[in-house]
Amino acid sequence: MNTPTTPALQIRNLSRRFGGLAALSDLSFTLAPGQILGVIGPNGAGKSTFINLVTGHLRPSTGQVLVHGADLTGKRPWRVAAAGVARTFQIVKPFRGMTARENVAISAMYGPTPRRSKRAALAVADEALERTGFTAAHTATPNELSVADARRLELAKALALRPRLLLLDEVMAGLRGKEIDRCLELVHRLREEGMTIVVVEHLMKAILSVSDQVLVLHQGRLLILGEPHAVLSDDRVIEAYLGQRYVQRKAR
Amino acid sequence: MAAESRVDVTGKPAAAPPTPADEPDGWRRLRPATPWAIGAIAVLAVIALQTQLYSGQVRTVSTVLMFIALAQSWNILGGFTGYASFGQVAFFGLGGYSTAVLMAKAGLSYWMALPLSAVIAAAFAAVIGLPLLRLRGHYFAIATLGVAEGLREIVINVPRLTGGGAGISIPVVGKHASTAYLGNDTFYIVFLVVAAATTVLVGVLSRSRLGYGLRAIRQDEAAAAAAGIDTTRAKVTALVLSAFCTGLVGSVYAFQQVTIYPERLFDVQITLLMVMMVVIGGSGTVLGPIIGATALQALSEYLRANFTEVHTFILGAIIIAAVIILPQGAVFFIRDAWRTRRLPLLDNVRTYRL
Repeated sequence: MNTPTTPALQIRNLSRRFGGLAALSDLSFTLAPGQILGVIGPNGAGKSTFINLVTGHLRPSTGQVLVHGADLTGKRPWRVAAAGVARTFQIVKPFRGMTARENVAISAMYGPTPRRSKRAALAVADEALERTGFTAAHTATPNELSVADARRLELAKALALRPRLLLLDEVMAGLRGKEIDRCLELVHRLREEGMTIVVVEHLMKAILSVSDQVLVLHQGRLLILGEPHAVLSDDRVIEAYLGQRYVQRKAR
Repeated sequence: MAAESRVDVTGKPAAAPPTPADEPDGWRRLRPATPWAIGAIAVLAVIALQTQLYSGQVRTVSTVLMFIALAQSWNILGGFTGYASFGQVAFFGLGGYSTAVLMAKAGLSYWMALPLSAVIAAAFAAVIGLPLLRLRGHYFAIATLGVAEGLREIVINVPRLTGGGAGISIPVVGKHASTAYLGNDTFYIVFLVVAAATTVLVGVLSRSRLGYGLRAIRQDEAAAAAAGIDTTRAKVTALVLSAFCTGLVGSVYAFQQVTIYPERLFDVQITLLMVMMVVIGGSGTVLGPIIGATALQALSEYLRANFTEVHTFILGAIIIAAVIILPQGAVFFIRDAWRTRRLPLLDNVRTYRL
């Protein structure tokens, strides 16, 4: 872990308040390149806020975000994307009125290595869709897609940016067993190619099998950061995430 | 129960056609050159048409061509980008007044004043674009409306430059005339050129990188930004292009009218016509504004000639009916009818129990 390389992601005292509500308070951690970080926490723990702060969809109240050493604090989303950061949205956001491959091609046209010709962008798009295991025709429109394919489209849009850091916001929600396995496989393969990945998930099983490190957020604060099994057997995590009753039952 | 039958009656999920993998994107199965060929033929047809018209009709068709250009201009921002400007007439009026002032006060020739007026309108758009495009939806619509109304008041209140409420005349005869009046037949060609040019611009835009960026912004601005699109720059570019074209049309209109008044050049009705033409024709398409402008203007002329007393009432009723039957616009209606091989005329009525 103690390699001299620059961290892929460095979060320093990151906070965001909405009026009187502290959605995220004083979050600090570093993530080494090529690692997979799982982020869990109950609803409203600040998981999506965290992603939005990294990608520039929200401005932090205080704190810093550094990606591969570059200070991206408060930068607009397209600047963050140009720095090699891609994300998916918890609620999928397809561009309606155009085909799936056109949706993905937009990421290839813009993004860090822009393909200015439509043909080249479409080629990148087809490749990205293939990788995600997209089952529908690439010329299908978003309204014609199944839940799983809509998720894959969302993922393909992020992959077509060819990011170095990928943030997945509950990309497996609504998927079934086999579909989840295939998605996890892809996450593993992307990591082997050198991508650093942050996986925000509700699914405990997904987090366990895929993460090198797990970060638990609770009421906007970092509860614990560590190896998956150590984190999941921690009493504070069990209490925050699984509930007091679970702790009592275990104690008995 | 009600919700169930709704899905059944519209039959939309079931009616979605299978898309074979080898079908090219969208529904444009034409070869890339085909639309250009059709466009060139259309332009030639409009030139040929001129020889068959008498002078009153030349003026009427000129107005249709003017509205095609205006609708295309509005389409760039309102249609592609999804920012409905209700103050588009501001750029029209600014273009017109720039031409009048440049010709009457600075003595510029029309062919100098025309491009300068468009540039002035575009520059004004660039200045107001940054603050205005931070607003969305209704707020953007109201703010643009305010800009147009404000601009009209400014024009009225600097009579030394603009002639104020009494209007301003462009000298078109005698030795004060920097450019002699062009006459109806030449204006017909000028309006045709402007309509064709804006259509070509929109056609190029719709297949371009910027065009995709604008459509993405229309669908979801947060997702567009995440895809790497500099949404601020794209939106301001769209507004500036749109204002440039609108200013160009305003300039031609001012010279055609010779004497212009603030009430006419900043008439909110011109904005409303642009909006309706694009919406009825199909917003964000190349063909839609042409269909919308031609249909609405032809209908309006016909009604005015035959039902003088009640023509606006009938026109209003037909517009309401058109919006109910073709909520997504004529172009998308025709496309869906083509793909599904059925006429979904009353789908919208059934869906929403209108």
